[in-house]
Amino acid sequence: MIETLRPKDARILVVDDERVNVVLLERILEQDGYTNVRSTTRSDQAVALYEEFEPDLVLLDLHMPGLDGFAVMERLEDRIAGDTFLPILILTADIRPEVKRRALAAGAKDFVTKPFDRTEVLLRIQNLLQTRFLHMRLRPELASEGQAT
Amino acid sequence: MWRRYGDAVYTLVTFAVFGFETLALGALSISFLLGRTTGIADTPVEGILLATLTSTASALALLGFFLLAYHFTSTLRDRWHVEQLDTWTERWIALALEDTPAEQLAEGSTRRLPRAAVDAVLSLLEVVKSEEGDRLKAVLAGHGVDRLLLRHVRSGHLTARLDAIESLGKARLPQAFDALISLLKHPRPVVRRMAVRAAAGTLATMPPEPGPDGPGARFIEALKGTDIQSGVAQESLLLLETRAGAVLRDLLAQPDLGDRLRWVALETTGRLGLADMAGEVAGSTSHADPELRAAAFRALRRLGSVPEEAHGSLLEALRDEVDFVRVQASHAAAFLPSEVALPALEPGLEDESWWVRRATAASMARLGDDGVAAVRRAAETHPDQAAREMAVQILLEAGVLDPAAARLVKGVA
Repeated sequence: MIETLRPKDARILVVDDERVNVVLLERILEQDGYTNVRSTTRSDQAVALYEEFEPDLVLLDLHMPGLDGFAVMERLEDRIAGDTFLPILILTADIRPEVKRRALAAGAKDFVTKPFDRTEVLLRIQNLLQTRFLHMRLRPELASEGQAT
Repeated sequence: MWRRYGDAVYTLVTFAVFGFETLALGALSISFLLGRTTGIADTPVEGILLATLTSTASALALLGFFLLAYHFTSTLRDRWHVEQLDTWTERWIALALEDTPAEQLAEGSTRRLPRAAVDAVLSLLEVVKSEEGDRLKAVLAGHGVDRLLLRHVRSGHLTARLDAIESLGKARLPQAFDALISLLKHPRPVVRRMAVRAAAGTLATMPPEPGPDGPGARFIEALKGTDIQSGVAQESLLLLETRAGAVLRDLLAQPDLGDRLRWVALETTGRLGLADMAGEVAGSTSHADPELRAAAFRALRRLGSVPEEAHGSLLEALRDEVDFVRVQASHAAAFLPSEVALPALEPGLEDESWWVRRATAASMARLGDDGVAAVRRAAETHPDQAAREMAVQILLEAGVLDPAAARLVKGVA
Protein backbone atom coordinates (compact mmCIF):
# COMPACT_ATOMS: atom_id res chain seq x y z
CA MET A 1 0.00 0.00 0.00
CA ILE A 2 2.58 2.54 1.14
CA GLU A 3 4.80 2.04 -1.93
CA THR A 4 1.97 3.20 -4.22
CA LEU A 5 1.90 6.68 -2.85
CA ARG A 6 2.45 8.36 -6.24
CA PRO A 7 -0.98 9.73 -7.29
CA LYS A 8 -0.54 8.55 -10.90
CA ASP A 9 -0.01 4.97 -9.66
CA ALA A 10 -3.22 5.10 -7.70
CA ARG A 11 -5.79 2.40 -8.28
CA ILE A 12 -9.00 3.93 -9.54
CA LEU A 13 -12.29 2.09 -9.89
CA VAL A 14 -14.99 3.50 -12.20
CA VAL A 15 -18.60 2.33 -11.72
CA ASP A 16 -21.14 3.69 -14.21
CA ASP A 17 -23.89 1.87 -16.10
CA GLU A 18 -23.32 3.97 -19.22
CA ARG A 19 -20.52 2.56 -21.31
CA VAL A 20 -19.87 5.94 -22.93
CA ASN A 21 -19.19 7.49 -19.53
CA VAL A 22 -16.87 4.68 -18.51
CA VAL A 23 -14.84 4.86 -21.72
CA LEU A 24 -14.62 8.64 -21.48
CA LEU A 25 -13.39 8.55 -17.89
CA GLU A 26 -10.87 5.83 -18.73
CA ARG A 27 -9.47 7.92 -21.58
CA ILE A 28 -9.35 11.10 -19.49
CA LEU A 29 -7.50 9.27 -16.73
CA GLU A 30 -5.14 7.50 -19.15
CA GLN A 31 -4.34 10.76 -20.88
CA ASP A 32 -3.51 12.35 -17.54
CA GLY A 33 -1.07 9.56 -16.73
CA TYR A 34 -3.13 7.27 -14.52
CA THR A 35 -2.14 3.72 -15.32
CA ASN A 36 -4.17 1.69 -12.87
CA VAL A 37 -7.82 2.07 -13.82
CA ARG A 38 -10.50 -0.62 -13.66
CA SER A 39 -14.11 -0.14 -14.54
CA THR A 40 -17.50 -1.80 -14.69
CA THR A 41 -20.89 -0.96 -16.12
CA ARG A 42 -22.52 -3.41 -13.72
CA SER A 43 -23.10 -1.99 -10.27
CA ASP A 44 -23.68 -5.46 -8.81
CA GLN A 45 -20.03 -6.23 -9.56
CA ALA A 46 -18.73 -3.08 -7.86
CA VAL A 47 -18.23 -4.63 -4.43
CA ALA A 48 -16.46 -7.73 -5.78
CA LEU A 49 -14.21 -5.52 -7.89
CA TYR A 50 -13.50 -3.35 -4.88
CA GLU A 51 -12.42 -6.36 -2.84
CA GLU A 52 -10.24 -7.69 -5.63
CA PHE A 53 -8.74 -4.41 -6.80
CA GLU A 54 -8.56 -2.48 -3.49
CA PRO A 55 -8.87 0.91 -5.15
CA ASP A 56 -7.55 4.18 -3.77
CA LEU A 57 -10.49 6.02 -5.28
CA VAL A 58 -13.95 5.09 -6.53
CA LEU A 59 -15.69 7.11 -9.23
CA LEU A 60 -19.35 6.26 -8.85
CA ASP A 61 -22.52 7.05 -10.75
CA LEU A 62 -25.64 7.48 -8.61
CA HIS A 63 -28.53 6.38 -10.79
CA MET A 64 -27.97 2.87 -12.08
CA PRO A 65 -30.37 0.00 -12.70
CA GLY A 66 -30.41 -2.64 -9.97
CA LEU A 67 -28.02 -1.42 -7.31
CA ASP A 68 -27.87 2.35 -7.37
CA GLY A 69 -24.94 4.43 -6.16
CA PHE A 70 -26.39 4.77 -2.67
CA ALA A 71 -26.71 0.98 -2.31
CA VAL A 72 -23.16 0.51 -3.61
CA MET A 73 -21.85 2.99 -1.02
CA GLU A 74 -23.80 1.22 1.70
CA ARG A 75 -22.22 -2.13 0.76
CA LEU A 76 -18.77 -0.62 0.47
CA GLU A 77 -19.11 0.98 3.89
CA ASP A 78 -19.42 -2.48 5.46
CA ARG A 79 -16.13 -3.46 3.87
CA ILE A 80 -14.07 -0.38 4.58
CA ALA A 81 -12.11 -0.51 7.80
CA GLY A 82 -12.95 2.25 10.27
CA ASP A 83 -9.54 3.94 10.08
CA THR A 84 -9.41 3.84 6.25
CA PHE A 85 -10.09 6.90 4.16
CA LEU A 86 -11.55 5.66 0.88
CA PRO A 87 -12.60 8.63 -1.25
CA ILE A 88 -15.74 8.16 -3.34
CA LEU A 89 -16.31 10.75 -6.03
CA ILE A 90 -19.90 10.88 -7.26
CA LEU A 91 -20.48 11.67 -10.93
CA THR A 92 -24.14 12.26 -11.68
CA ALA A 93 -26.50 14.23 -13.84
CA ASP A 94 -28.90 14.66 -10.92
CA ILE A 95 -28.83 18.33 -10.02
CA ARG A 96 -31.18 18.22 -7.02
CA PRO A 97 -29.46 19.65 -3.91
CA GLU A 98 -31.11 17.06 -1.65
CA VAL A 99 -29.57 14.24 -3.73
CA LYS A 100 -26.17 15.82 -3.30
CA ARG A 101 -26.68 16.08 0.46
CA ARG A 102 -27.89 12.46 0.63
CA ALA A 103 -24.87 11.24 -1.34
CA LEU A 104 -22.44 13.14 0.87
CA ALA A 105 -24.19 11.79 3.97
CA ALA A 106 -23.98 8.25 2.56
CA GLY A 107 -20.19 8.41 2.41
CA ALA A 108 -19.33 10.25 -0.79
CA LYS A 109 -16.42 12.62 -0.37
CA ASP A 110 -17.04 14.85 -3.37
CA PHE A 111 -19.59 15.45 -6.04
CA VAL A 112 -19.30 16.34 -9.73
CA THR A 113 -22.33 17.08 -11.89
CA LYS A 114 -22.56 15.83 -15.46
CA PRO A 115 -21.83 17.29 -17.90
CA PHE A 116 -18.48 17.86 -16.25
CA ASP A 117 -15.35 19.76 -17.04
CA ARG A 118 -12.32 17.52 -17.61
CA THR A 119 -9.98 19.80 -15.66
CA GLU A 120 -12.38 19.97 -12.73
CA VAL A 121 -12.76 16.19 -12.57
CA LEU A 122 -9.00 15.65 -12.72
CA LEU A 123 -8.39 18.25 -10.01
CA ARG A 124 -10.94 16.69 -7.73
CA ILE A 125 -9.48 13.23 -8.33
CA GLN A 126 -6.00 14.53 -7.60
CA ASN A 127 -7.12 16.26 -4.41
CA LEU A 128 -8.96 13.21 -3.14
CA LEU A 129 -5.98 10.97 -3.88
CA GLN A 130 -3.62 13.35 -2.10
CA THR A 131 -5.89 13.31 0.93
CA ARG A 132 -6.04 9.52 0.78
CA PHE A 133 -2.24 9.23 0.64
CA LEU A 134 -1.70 11.75 3.42
CA HIS A 135 -4.13 9.76 5.51
CA MET A 136 -2.28 6.55 4.72
CA ARG A 137 1.03 8.14 5.71
CA LEU A 138 -0.47 9.23 9.02
CA ARG A 139 -2.00 5.88 9.81
CA PRO A 140 1.09 4.28 11.45
CA GLU A 141 1.56 7.41 13.57
CA LEU A 142 -2.08 7.43 14.56
CA ALA A 143 -1.91 3.71 15.37
CA SER A 144 1.17 4.13 17.58
CA GLU A 145 -0.44 7.12 19.31
CA GLY A 146 -3.47 4.98 19.94
CA GLN A 147 -1.32 2.21 21.43
CA ALA A 148 0.59 4.68 23.62
CA THR A 149 -2.60 6.06 25.08
CA MET B 1 -42.45 -10.15 -30.15
CA TRP B 2 -40.88 -6.72 -29.48
CA ARG B 3 -39.63 -7.30 -25.99
CA ARG B 4 -36.55 -6.14 -24.14
CA TYR B 5 -35.65 -9.18 -22.10
CA GLY B 6 -35.82 -12.94 -22.73
CA ASP B 7 -35.65 -12.64 -26.51
CA ALA B 8 -33.89 -15.98 -26.99
CA VAL B 9 -36.24 -17.95 -24.73
CA TYR B 10 -39.28 -16.31 -26.30
CA THR B 11 -38.05 -17.18 -29.79
CA LEU B 12 -37.36 -20.80 -28.86
CA VAL B 13 -40.75 -21.29 -27.20
CA THR B 14 -42.58 -19.64 -30.09
CA PHE B 15 -40.61 -21.66 -32.61
CA ALA B 16 -41.26 -24.90 -30.72
CA VAL B 17 -45.03 -24.24 -30.55
CA PHE B 18 -45.32 -23.17 -34.18
CA GLY B 19 -43.00 -25.98 -35.28
CA PHE B 20 -45.03 -28.59 -33.45
CA GLU B 21 -48.30 -27.24 -34.87
CA THR B 22 -46.86 -27.10 -38.38
CA LEU B 23 -45.53 -30.65 -38.18
CA ALA B 24 -48.79 -32.01 -36.80
CA LEU B 25 -50.87 -30.19 -39.41
CA GLY B 26 -48.41 -31.19 -42.13
CA ALA B 27 -48.61 -34.83 -41.10
CA LEU B 28 -52.39 -34.61 -41.07
CA SER B 29 -52.45 -33.03 -44.54
CA ILE B 30 -50.16 -35.74 -45.93
CA SER B 31 -52.26 -38.48 -44.42
CA PHE B 32 -55.36 -36.89 -46.05
CA LEU B 33 -53.53 -36.65 -49.36
CA LEU B 34 -52.49 -40.25 -49.13
CA GLY B 35 -56.07 -41.16 -48.25
CA ARG B 36 -57.30 -39.20 -51.30
CA THR B 37 -55.02 -41.14 -53.63
CA THR B 38 -56.06 -44.37 -52.06
CA GLY B 39 -59.68 -43.34 -52.25
CA ILE B 40 -60.16 -42.84 -48.50
CA ALA B 41 -60.67 -39.03 -48.63
CA ASP B 42 -62.41 -38.22 -51.84
CA THR B 43 -65.62 -36.45 -50.73
CA PRO B 44 -65.94 -32.59 -51.18
CA VAL B 45 -66.00 -32.08 -47.39
CA GLU B 46 -62.72 -33.91 -47.03
CA GLY B 47 -61.31 -31.79 -49.84
CA ILE B 48 -62.22 -28.55 -48.00
CA LEU B 49 -60.76 -29.93 -44.80
CA LEU B 50 -57.58 -30.81 -46.61
CA ALA B 51 -57.29 -27.32 -48.12
CA THR B 52 -57.85 -25.71 -44.71
CA LEU B 53 -55.21 -27.88 -43.11
CA THR B 54 -52.70 -27.15 -45.83
CA SER B 55 -53.24 -23.38 -45.75
CA THR B 56 -53.06 -23.28 -41.90
CA ALA B 57 -49.85 -25.30 -41.92
CA SER B 58 -48.36 -23.00 -44.57
CA ALA B 59 -49.40 -19.87 -42.62
CA LEU B 60 -47.90 -21.19 -39.42
CA ALA B 61 -44.69 -22.16 -41.18
CA LEU B 62 -44.47 -18.69 -42.71
CA LEU B 63 -45.12 -17.00 -39.35
CA GLY B 64 -42.55 -19.19 -37.62
CA PHE B 65 -40.00 -18.40 -40.28
CA PHE B 66 -40.76 -14.68 -39.98
CA LEU B 67 -40.30 -14.75 -36.22
CA LEU B 68 -36.97 -16.47 -36.52
CA ALA B 69 -35.81 -14.16 -39.28
CA TYR B 70 -36.98 -11.11 -37.32
CA HIS B 71 -35.08 -12.06 -34.19
CA PHE B 72 -32.01 -13.05 -36.13
CA THR B 73 -31.83 -9.81 -38.10
CA SER B 74 -32.74 -7.55 -35.17
CA THR B 75 -30.06 -9.18 -33.01
CA LEU B 76 -27.54 -8.72 -35.79
CA ARG B 77 -28.63 -5.13 -36.29
CA ASP B 78 -28.46 -4.35 -32.54
CA ARG B 79 -25.00 -5.87 -32.35
CA TRP B 80 -23.89 -3.90 -35.34
CA HIS B 81 -25.33 -0.68 -33.86
CA VAL B 82 -23.54 -1.27 -30.53
CA GLU B 83 -20.28 -1.90 -32.39
CA GLN B 84 -20.80 1.25 -34.41
CA LEU B 85 -21.60 3.20 -31.25
CA ASP B 86 -18.42 1.94 -29.60
CA THR B 87 -16.34 2.82 -32.64
CA TRP B 88 -17.80 6.30 -32.90
CA THR B 89 -17.58 6.86 -29.16
CA GLU B 90 -13.86 6.09 -29.22
CA ARG B 91 -13.44 8.36 -32.22
CA TRP B 92 -15.34 11.26 -30.63
CA ILE B 93 -13.54 10.86 -27.30
CA ALA B 94 -10.18 11.00 -29.07
CA LEU B 95 -11.33 14.10 -30.87
CA ALA B 96 -12.79 15.73 -27.74
CA LEU B 97 -9.63 15.18 -25.73
CA GLU B 98 -7.18 16.36 -28.37
CA ASP B 99 -5.98 19.93 -28.63
CA THR B 100 -7.57 20.79 -31.96
CA PRO B 101 -9.48 24.08 -31.74
CA ALA B 102 -13.25 23.73 -32.15
CA GLU B 103 -13.37 26.16 -35.12
CA GLN B 104 -10.91 24.01 -37.05
CA LEU B 105 -13.04 20.92 -36.51
CA ALA B 106 -16.12 22.67 -37.81
CA GLU B 107 -14.35 23.18 -41.12
CA GLY B 108 -13.79 19.44 -41.59
CA SER B 109 -15.85 16.99 -43.58
CA THR B 110 -19.44 18.01 -44.15
CA ARG B 111 -20.70 14.57 -45.13
CA ARG B 112 -23.81 13.43 -43.30
CA LEU B 113 -23.08 11.43 -40.14
CA PRO B 114 -24.58 7.97 -39.62
CA ARG B 115 -27.13 7.52 -36.84
CA ALA B 116 -24.66 5.77 -34.52
CA ALA B 117 -22.21 8.66 -34.87
CA VAL B 118 -24.87 11.20 -33.89
CA ASP B 119 -26.08 9.04 -30.98
CA ALA B 120 -22.52 8.65 -29.72
CA VAL B 121 -21.73 12.36 -29.87
CA LEU B 122 -25.02 13.25 -28.16
CA SER B 123 -24.33 10.75 -25.37
CA LEU B 124 -20.90 12.26 -24.88
CA LEU B 125 -22.30 15.77 -24.79
CA GLU B 126 -24.38 14.69 -21.81
CA VAL B 127 -21.15 13.98 -19.96
CA VAL B 128 -18.63 16.61 -21.05
CA LYS B 129 -18.75 20.36 -21.34
CA SER B 130 -16.23 23.22 -21.70
CA GLU B 131 -13.57 22.86 -24.41
CA GLU B 132 -14.23 19.16 -24.91
CA GLY B 133 -17.94 19.78 -25.30
CA ASP B 134 -17.31 22.70 -27.66
CA ARG B 135 -15.22 20.47 -29.92
CA LEU B 136 -18.03 17.95 -30.17
CA LYS B 137 -20.59 20.69 -30.80
CA ALA B 138 -18.38 22.00 -33.59
CA VAL B 139 -18.42 18.56 -35.18
CA LEU B 140 -22.21 18.47 -35.01
CA ALA B 141 -22.42 21.89 -36.64
CA GLY B 142 -19.81 20.96 -39.23
CA HIS B 143 -21.86 17.97 -40.34
CA GLY B 144 -25.13 19.88 -40.35
CA VAL B 145 -26.66 17.87 -37.49
CA ASP B 146 -27.76 21.06 -35.75
CA ARG B 147 -29.64 22.23 -38.84
CA LEU B 148 -31.23 18.81 -39.23
CA LEU B 149 -32.40 18.78 -35.61
CA LEU B 150 -33.74 22.31 -35.89
CA ARG B 151 -35.68 21.25 -38.98
CA HIS B 152 -37.13 18.30 -37.07
CA VAL B 153 -38.09 20.60 -34.18
CA ARG B 154 -40.51 22.27 -36.60
CA SER B 155 -41.75 18.91 -37.89
CA GLY B 156 -45.48 18.27 -37.85
CA HIS B 157 -44.79 14.73 -36.65
CA LEU B 158 -44.88 14.77 -32.84
CA THR B 159 -42.45 11.90 -32.28
CA ALA B 160 -39.86 13.40 -34.61
CA ARG B 161 -40.29 16.75 -32.91
CA LEU B 162 -39.87 15.31 -29.40
CA ASP B 163 -36.83 13.30 -30.50
CA ALA B 164 -35.27 16.44 -31.94
CA ILE B 165 -35.96 18.43 -28.74
CA GLU B 166 -34.43 15.68 -26.65
CA SER B 167 -31.35 15.59 -28.86
CA LEU B 168 -31.00 19.36 -28.70
CA GLY B 169 -31.31 19.14 -24.92
CA LYS B 170 -28.38 16.75 -24.85
CA ALA B 171 -26.34 18.75 -27.34
CA ARG B 172 -26.94 22.12 -25.64
CA LEU B 173 -26.30 24.04 -28.84
CA PRO B 174 -26.54 27.82 -28.38
CA GLN B 175 -27.84 28.16 -31.96
CA ALA B 176 -30.90 26.12 -30.93
CA PHE B 177 -31.75 28.25 -27.88
CA ASP B 178 -34.24 30.59 -29.56
CA ALA B 179 -35.98 27.74 -31.37
CA LEU B 180 -36.36 25.94 -28.05
CA ILE B 181 -37.78 28.88 -26.12
CA SER B 182 -40.20 29.59 -28.97
CA LEU B 183 -41.62 26.11 -28.28
CA LEU B 184 -42.69 27.22 -24.82
CA LYS B 185 -45.80 28.61 -26.51
CA HIS B 186 -46.61 25.27 -28.14
CA PRO B 187 -50.17 24.05 -27.45
CA ARG B 188 -49.00 20.57 -26.40
CA PRO B 189 -47.83 20.42 -22.73
CA VAL B 190 -45.30 17.65 -23.49
CA VAL B 191 -43.55 19.83 -26.07
CA ARG B 192 -43.44 22.79 -23.68
CA ARG B 193 -42.13 20.57 -20.92
CA MET B 194 -39.30 19.08 -22.97
CA ALA B 195 -38.47 22.41 -24.58
CA VAL B 196 -38.08 24.27 -21.28
CA ARG B 197 -35.72 21.60 -19.94
CA ALA B 198 -33.66 21.64 -23.12
CA ALA B 199 -33.59 25.45 -23.19
CA ALA B 200 -32.49 25.62 -19.54
CA GLY B 201 -29.68 23.11 -20.10
CA THR B 202 -28.56 25.07 -23.15
CA LEU B 203 -28.65 28.39 -21.31
CA ALA B 204 -26.46 26.89 -18.59
CA THR B 205 -23.63 26.51 -21.10
CA MET B 206 -24.03 29.87 -22.84
CA PRO B 207 -21.76 32.78 -21.89
CA PRO B 208 -23.46 35.39 -19.67
CA GLU B 209 -24.84 38.28 -21.66
CA PRO B 210 -26.62 40.76 -19.41
CA GLY B 211 -29.29 43.12 -20.67
CA PRO B 212 -32.87 42.90 -21.88
CA ASP B 213 -31.85 41.06 -25.07
CA GLY B 214 -29.53 38.56 -23.43
CA PRO B 215 -30.43 34.85 -23.38
CA GLY B 216 -31.19 34.98 -19.64
CA ALA B 217 -33.75 37.75 -20.16
CA ARG B 218 -35.27 35.92 -23.14
CA PHE B 219 -35.55 32.76 -21.05
CA ILE B 220 -37.34 34.69 -18.29
CA GLU B 221 -39.77 36.26 -20.75
CA ALA B 222 -40.51 32.83 -22.22
CA LEU B 223 -41.07 31.37 -18.73
CA LYS B 224 -43.43 34.20 -17.86
CA GLY B 225 -45.44 33.62 -21.01
CA THR B 226 -45.74 29.85 -20.83
CA ASP B 227 -48.08 27.51 -19.03
CA ILE B 228 -46.03 24.78 -17.39
CA GLN B 229 -46.41 22.95 -14.11
CA SER B 230 -44.59 24.40 -11.09
CA GLY B 231 -42.44 21.28 -10.75
CA VAL B 232 -41.29 21.54 -14.36
CA ALA B 233 -40.47 25.23 -13.94
CA GLN B 234 -38.54 24.45 -10.78
CA GLU B 235 -36.59 21.68 -12.49
CA SER B 236 -35.72 23.95 -15.39
CA LEU B 237 -34.36 26.56 -12.96
CA LEU B 238 -32.26 23.90 -11.25
CA LEU B 239 -30.93 22.84 -14.67
CA LEU B 240 -29.46 26.32 -15.09
CA GLU B 241 -26.64 25.21 -12.76
CA THR B 242 -24.29 28.14 -12.13
CA ARG B 243 -26.56 30.49 -14.08
CA ALA B 244 -29.47 29.81 -11.70
CA GLY B 245 -28.54 32.60 -9.27
CA ALA B 246 -28.49 35.32 -11.92
CA VAL B 247 -31.74 34.16 -13.54
CA LEU B 248 -33.52 33.82 -10.18
CA ARG B 249 -32.37 37.28 -9.15
CA ASP B 250 -33.76 38.79 -12.36
CA LEU B 251 -36.90 36.72 -12.08
CA LEU B 252 -37.69 37.90 -8.55
CA ALA B 253 -37.05 41.48 -9.63
CA GLN B 254 -39.80 41.31 -12.29
CA PRO B 255 -42.67 43.57 -11.21
CA ASP B 256 -45.23 41.66 -13.31
CA LEU B 257 -44.15 38.18 -12.21
CA GLY B 258 -47.11 35.82 -11.75
CA ASP B 259 -47.74 34.30 -8.32
CA ARG B 260 -47.01 30.75 -9.43
CA LEU B 261 -43.67 31.61 -10.97
CA ARG B 262 -42.74 33.77 -7.98
CA TRP B 263 -43.49 30.81 -5.72
CA VAL B 264 -41.27 28.60 -7.93
CA ALA B 265 -38.46 31.17 -7.83
CA LEU B 266 -38.64 31.44 -4.02
CA GLU B 267 -38.66 27.66 -3.58
CA THR B 268 -35.74 27.18 -5.95
CA THR B 269 -33.71 29.94 -4.31
CA GLY B 270 -34.18 28.24 -0.96
CA ARG B 271 -33.44 24.76 -2.29
CA LEU B 272 -30.25 25.96 -3.94
CA GLY B 273 -29.21 27.75 -0.74
CA LEU B 274 -28.33 30.95 -2.59
CA ALA B 275 -27.52 32.81 0.62
CA ASP B 276 -26.64 36.09 -1.12
CA MET B 277 -30.22 36.31 -2.38
CA ALA B 278 -31.87 36.77 1.02
CA GLY B 279 -32.51 40.43 0.11
CA GLU B 280 -34.46 39.47 -3.04
CA VAL B 281 -36.47 36.90 -1.09
CA ALA B 282 -37.26 39.42 1.66
CA GLY B 283 -39.37 41.39 -0.82
CA SER B 284 -41.98 38.62 -0.88
CA THR B 285 -42.36 38.22 2.88
CA SER B 286 -45.24 40.72 2.97
CA HIS B 287 -46.94 39.51 -0.23
CA ALA B 288 -50.75 39.45 -0.23
CA ASP B 289 -50.82 35.73 -1.08
CA PRO B 290 -50.23 33.58 2.04
CA GLU B 291 -48.64 30.80 -0.08
CA LEU B 292 -46.01 33.29 -1.22
CA ARG B 293 -45.44 34.68 2.27
CA ALA B 294 -44.90 31.13 3.52
CA ALA B 295 -42.59 30.31 0.60
CA ALA B 296 -40.53 33.43 1.29
CA PHE B 297 -40.08 32.54 4.98
CA ARG B 298 -39.28 28.93 4.08
CA ALA B 299 -36.64 30.18 1.67
CA LEU B 300 -35.14 32.51 4.30
CA ARG B 301 -35.00 29.61 6.74
CA ARG B 302 -33.16 27.51 4.15
CA LEU B 303 -30.81 30.40 3.37
CA GLY B 304 -30.11 30.75 7.09
CA SER B 305 -30.56 34.51 7.33
CA VAL B 306 -33.27 37.13 7.63
CA PRO B 307 -32.23 40.52 6.24
CA GLU B 308 -33.12 43.56 8.31
CA GLU B 309 -35.75 44.76 5.83
CA ALA B 310 -37.71 41.55 6.48
CA HIS B 311 -37.63 41.77 10.31
CA GLY B 312 -40.88 43.75 10.49
CA SER B 313 -42.83 41.46 8.17
CA LEU B 314 -41.50 38.39 9.97
CA LEU B 315 -42.60 39.65 13.38
CA GLU B 316 -45.99 40.44 11.88
CA ALA B 317 -46.19 37.00 10.23
CA LEU B 318 -45.76 35.32 13.63
CA ARG B 319 -49.33 36.55 14.25
CA ASP B 320 -50.53 35.85 10.67
CA GLU B 321 -54.10 34.61 10.37
CA VAL B 322 -52.95 31.65 8.23
CA ASP B 323 -51.34 28.89 10.28
CA PHE B 324 -48.83 27.65 7.65
CA VAL B 325 -47.47 31.20 7.35
CA ARG B 326 -47.03 31.31 11.14
CA VAL B 327 -45.20 27.94 10.96
CA GLN B 328 -42.70 29.13 8.35
CA ALA B 329 -42.28 32.51 10.02
CA SER B 330 -41.58 30.79 13.36
CA HIS B 331 -38.90 28.63 11.72
CA ALA B 332 -37.30 31.67 10.08
CA ALA B 333 -37.35 33.57 13.39
CA ALA B 334 -34.47 31.36 14.55
CA PHE B 335 -32.28 33.61 12.41
CA LEU B 336 -33.29 36.86 14.13
CA PRO B 337 -31.22 38.27 16.99
CA SER B 338 -32.32 36.41 20.14
CA GLU B 339 -33.34 39.59 21.99
CA VAL B 340 -35.83 40.31 19.15
CA ALA B 341 -36.88 36.74 18.43
CA LEU B 342 -37.55 35.38 21.92
CA PRO B 343 -40.23 37.81 23.07
CA ALA B 344 -41.86 37.61 19.64
CA LEU B 345 -41.83 33.82 19.56
CA GLU B 346 -43.02 33.07 23.09
CA PRO B 347 -46.75 33.68 22.43
CA GLY B 348 -46.52 31.04 19.70
CA LEU B 349 -46.09 28.35 22.36
CA GLU B 350 -49.80 28.74 23.10
CA ASP B 351 -50.84 28.73 19.43
CA GLU B 352 -53.87 26.63 18.56
CA SER B 353 -51.86 24.84 15.85
CA TRP B 354 -49.61 21.97 16.95
CA TRP B 355 -47.28 22.80 14.03
CA VAL B 356 -46.88 26.41 15.11
CA ARG B 357 -46.17 25.41 18.71
CA ARG B 358 -43.57 22.94 17.50
CA ALA B 359 -41.89 25.43 15.11
CA THR B 360 -41.89 28.06 17.88
CA ALA B 361 -40.28 25.85 20.49
CA ALA B 362 -37.74 24.47 17.99
CA SER B 363 -36.72 27.97 16.89
CA MET B 364 -36.42 29.17 20.48
CA ALA B 365 -34.15 26.22 21.27
CA ARG B 366 -31.90 27.25 18.37
CA LEU B 367 -31.41 30.75 19.77
CA GLY B 368 -28.42 29.89 21.97
CA ASP B 369 -28.34 29.62 25.76
CA ASP B 370 -31.05 32.27 26.24
CA GLY B 371 -33.36 30.38 23.93
CA VAL B 372 -32.79 27.02 25.60
CA ALA B 373 -33.34 28.64 29.01
CA ALA B 374 -36.61 30.14 27.78
CA VAL B 375 -37.84 26.76 26.50
CA ARG B 376 -36.84 25.15 29.77
CA ARG B 377 -38.71 27.81 31.67
CA ALA B 378 -41.75 27.18 29.48
CA ALA B 379 -41.47 23.44 30.11
CA GLU B 380 -41.52 23.98 33.87
CA THR B 381 -43.79 26.92 34.44
CA HIS B 382 -45.89 27.76 31.38
CA PRO B 383 -49.55 27.93 32.36
CA ASP B 384 -50.66 26.25 29.13
CA GLN B 385 -50.32 22.45 29.21
CA ALA B 386 -49.88 22.15 25.43
CA ALA B 387 -47.04 24.70 25.57
CA ARG B 388 -45.34 22.84 28.41
CA GLU B 389 -45.57 19.51 26.63
CA MET B 390 -44.18 20.90 23.39
CA ALA B 391 -41.30 22.57 25.24
CA VAL B 392 -40.42 19.27 26.94
CA GLN B 393 -40.62 17.42 23.63
CA ILE B 394 -38.22 19.87 21.93
CA LEU B 395 -35.78 19.77 24.85
CA LEU B 396 -35.84 15.98 24.65
CA GLU B 397 -35.17 16.02 20.90
CA ALA B 398 -32.38 18.55 21.32
CA GLY B 399 -30.74 16.31 23.91
CA VAL B 400 -31.04 18.98 26.60
CA LEU B 401 -33.21 16.69 28.70
CA ASP B 402 -33.04 12.93 29.04
CA PRO B 403 -36.31 10.98 29.35
CA ALA B 404 -36.02 10.72 33.16
CA ALA B 405 -35.43 14.46 33.52
CA ALA B 406 -38.30 15.12 31.12
CA ARG B 407 -40.65 13.12 33.34
CA LEU B 408 -39.40 15.08 36.32
CA VAL B 409 -39.97 18.41 34.56
CA LYS B 410 -43.48 17.32 33.58
CA GLY B 411 -44.10 16.37 37.21
CA VAL B 412 -42.88 19.74 38.48
CA ALA B 413 -45.10 21.49 35.95
